Amino acid sequence: MDAVTYPDEIVADYIDDTFIPLRISSDTQPYADDFNVKWTPRIIILDPTGAVHQSNVGFFPPEEFIPSLEIGLAKVDFNQDCLEECRQHLNRILASHPQSFSAPEAVYLKGVVKYKMIGDAKFLKEAYYQLQERYPASEWARRAWPYRLL
Amino acid sequence: MNRKFEWKSDFLEVFEKARKENKAVLLDFYNPG
Repeated sequence: MDAVTYPDEIVADYIDDTFIPLRISSDTQPYADDFNVKWTPRIIILDPTGAVHQSNVGFFPPEEFIPSLEIGLAKVDFNQDCLEECRQHLNRILASHPQSFSAPEAVYLKGVVKYKMIGDAKFLKEAYYQLQERYPASEWARRAWPYRLL
Repeated sequence: MNRKFEWKSDFLEVFEKARKENKAVLLDFYNPG
């Protein structure tokens, strides 16, 4: 991450604009135990109260890191029932990073958000068909599989 | 290393700032080597 991703100008700008960045050694106690850190890099997104909304292990190249962070922010908003803000994060992922590993999850979550906002199950079914069409090999296409029956 | 952002290492300071600015926290556990 130090050699490739964090020095990337777009990544640095994104982090600077969007997050309060906190970095500690994986052997720092009590945090290593509190967060059950067993391998690095371990990258966690928390809200200002300290609640964890996303946790990842392993290297991300710049083109995957930004959409990964954006979907983490979408989860922060989703978990706090800020659905419109969540939808905006998801739209940005799908518009700017449609080939990223985070894009299929964004389609899935966007279907869920629209369902929760409007109350119509057709949005879950639409998410299933979009995933089948655009990301058929993704795990999210499989997770949406029951929605075809709606 | 980074051009525009600076990592912080103080939990309390970070979360106080996060609350003040209503921003999420990006926490990176790194390998001390």
